[in-house]
Amino acid sequence: MAIAAQNNGLGGGRPGEGAGIANLLFVIPALTLYALFVLWPLASSLYYSLTDWDGIGAPRWVGLANFTRAFADDIHLASYVHVTLYILGTLVFEVSFGLVMAVMLNSDRPGFALLRGLFFSPVVLSMSAAGVLWNFVFDYRTGLVNAMLKGIGLGDWAQPWLSQPATALICVMLVSGWKFAGLYMILFFAALRRIPRSLYEAATLEGAGPIRRFFSITLPLLKQNVLICGLLAVTGGFAGFDLFFTMTNGQPYNSTEVPVTWIVKMAFDSDQLGYGIALTVILTVVVSLISLLYLRFAERSHAVEY
Amino acid sequence: MASWTRMRNLAAGVIAAAVLASTFGQRAGAEPVEIRITHSITGGTQKEALDGIIADFEKANPDIKVKQVVFDDDQYSDTGLITQLKSATPPDIYFQWAGFPMQRDAKEGFAKDISAEMDADGWKDSFLPSVWSPSMGMLYEGHPYLVPMTLDVTNVIWFNKKIFAEDGVKAPATWDEFMAAVKTLAEKGETPIVIGNQELWPLGNWASHIASRVVEPAHYDAAFKLQEPFSQPGFEKALTLIDDLRKAGAFNKDIAGLGADPAMSTFFQEAAAMHPIGSWLVPSANEMAEKDFDYGAFNTPLIDPANPTKDSVIGTATGFAVHAKSAHPKEAIAFLKFFTRLDSQVKWAEAGSFSPVKGAMEQAKLDDKTKQMADMLSHAGSLVPPPDTTYPVAVAESYYQAAAYVAGGEKSPHDALVWLDEHVKAMK
Repeated sequence: MAIAAQNNGLGGGRPGEGAGIANLLFVIPALTLYALFVLWPLASSLYYSLTDWDGIGAPRWVGLANFTRAFADDIHLASYVHVTLYILGTLVFEVSFGLVMAVMLNSDRPGFALLRGLFFSPVVLSMSAAGVLWNFVFDYRTGLVNAMLKGIGLGDWAQPWLSQPATALICVMLVSGWKFAGLYMILFFAALRRIPRSLYEAATLEGAGPIRRFFSITLPLLKQNVLICGLLAVTGGFAGFDLFFTMTNGQPYNSTEVPVTWIVKMAFDSDQLGYGIALTVILTVVVSLISLLYLRFAERSHAVEY
Repeated sequence: MASWTRMRNLAAGVIAAAVLASTFGQRAGAEPVEIRITHSITGGTQKEALDGIIADFEKANPDIKVKQVVFDDDQYSDTGLITQLKSATPPDIYFQWAGFPMQRDAKEGFAKDISAEMDADGWKDSFLPSVWSPSMGMLYEGHPYLVPMTLDVTNVIWFNKKIFAEDGVKAPATWDEFMAAVKTLAEKGETPIVIGNQELWPLGNWASHIASRVVEPAHYDAAFKLQEPFSQPGFEKALTLIDDLRKAGAFNKDIAGLGADPAMSTFFQEAAAMHPIGSWLVPSANEMAEKDFDYGAFNTPLIDPANPTKDSVIGTATGFAVHAKSAHPKEAIAFLKFFTRLDSQVKWAEAGSFSPVKGAMEQAKLDDKTKQMADMLSHAGSLVPPPDTTYPVAVAESYYQAAAYVAGGEKSPHDALVWLDEHVKAMK
């Protein structure tokens, strides 16, 4: 009856047509906001990516020249290799280590809650502060690492950790692991608490040891959490900037240059905003594709599970 | 009806009273005009001097207040200034580098043409005539857009006098003497030169000065304008000189990852014998170094006596521009005239700045270092501006990157130049 009244009021002909218009009216505010804050910036980014623009003067249309340049820009291309290595590192130092710590600290015995809190504490520190702090630790002349090495008679092992391509990226990975493993630990810990204890008890009765219980019970039941954490690590890795900016700024010799640091350098340091935006468009496409593929993979694995 | 009329009369009376009260209120206690000035002087003696001059100005002009909007140097040049310039309420006055940045601002209509103000009251004549030469980059199409503020030597080689004396080394006059000094220092176990090249410009500035001393000026200019390749004998020779320094063990091991400020601290802590950086080291040393830290400076030594810029100094001018859309241009000009008055500039010079105002450097009680910088500038055969204030920044940065590759031993001079030409090809 109400629908009929709506149809009459809006003068619709076929049943349901008026309701469609009414529904549209209700979603217009949300659509307007979406268009204003999502679609419009996306469209304008696409436009500026096709221009030569320094951010100050008028943009000059250059067609696909920025994209052609991007695929010939050796530092830009290398930045994707570096970020891939970084993401692999985060999967090891953050997700895997977080999982191991969650399992090891999954206990109600006294002191374990404190340990979990301590392990989680770096997460609350800002990335920039963490970067600056660890710069002091890795400093060649006065850093803690080299001081320790000298202190135990291994002075020859002292290295300019953040100034040589062989070690700089690993240092950033380690700091990233120190910073975020606690976050993944808490996520896994919450999921671990939902696994029924009876499963472990039954397995123990049948003679399964801790490693067998981990691979036969814990890991399969945490599969979805592992996949979500993996997705967070991958997409977060592509967006990585602060730590790279404060620790190495893409150096030494661009060996820690990741897409976002290179975008910032091109767009703001070198006054090539048009080119920087084109690099951003490429990054958006890459991250979207990887996320879609990853989610498709995750959905499939979910379907197999049930 | 009568009550409506009474109410209307009452309302009219209230409005009239409010208007009168506001008018008289404004006259009785008028709010001072606030002008906003944005810059990147975050600390040190220069900031103290600027604060002092602003305080003096506000005392002399109680109807004008000056609000400072201060950014870190990199943040200012990357995003801080652009964001403000394009905002609906831009700053009245902003700090800018002469040359390419100022000329771009003038072209895009951000900076105000101050020809009329400069011509009035002989303001323009109060500055050293040299600052108005076209090479200084203060003019755009023959018109001034920047009020000169400081002349900076952007690269000079600072040295620790104690280490030099202990190791029997003297400030060199030629490149050969310089190489000999580096070798001696390295053999004695010192770090001869500390550079924090994480941001590329600290070595890049010096490397471009070296190139300007080796490459013919026309070729140097053409290469940075991408009219000629960098792969040419002159540039290769320049990078080979840097490679020779590397082979002699000149540089700190962490050159590629160390920041500019930590490198300066390393020099102040006497952990390196030399530190090539600009004249702004002086105010930093006053603030950060130990009182007994004894240091001196020498210009990049003579490399090629036949080169027209053999005795050049690398430097740039900076200044204050009035925004073309300033809401208070008269007050902004009034402040800038006060800032560039001789007495203000004497204070400015005594804070470690090279004042572009006539007589300021002569009247100021300068410390030895500032005086040395002033002498270096006034005796220089020519002034070479840094590439990142003269040419497109992306090209300058690419050259700096090539120099960094060589200084770190990552690429040979030849390979670095091949990389450079390939890298800048897409920028043409």
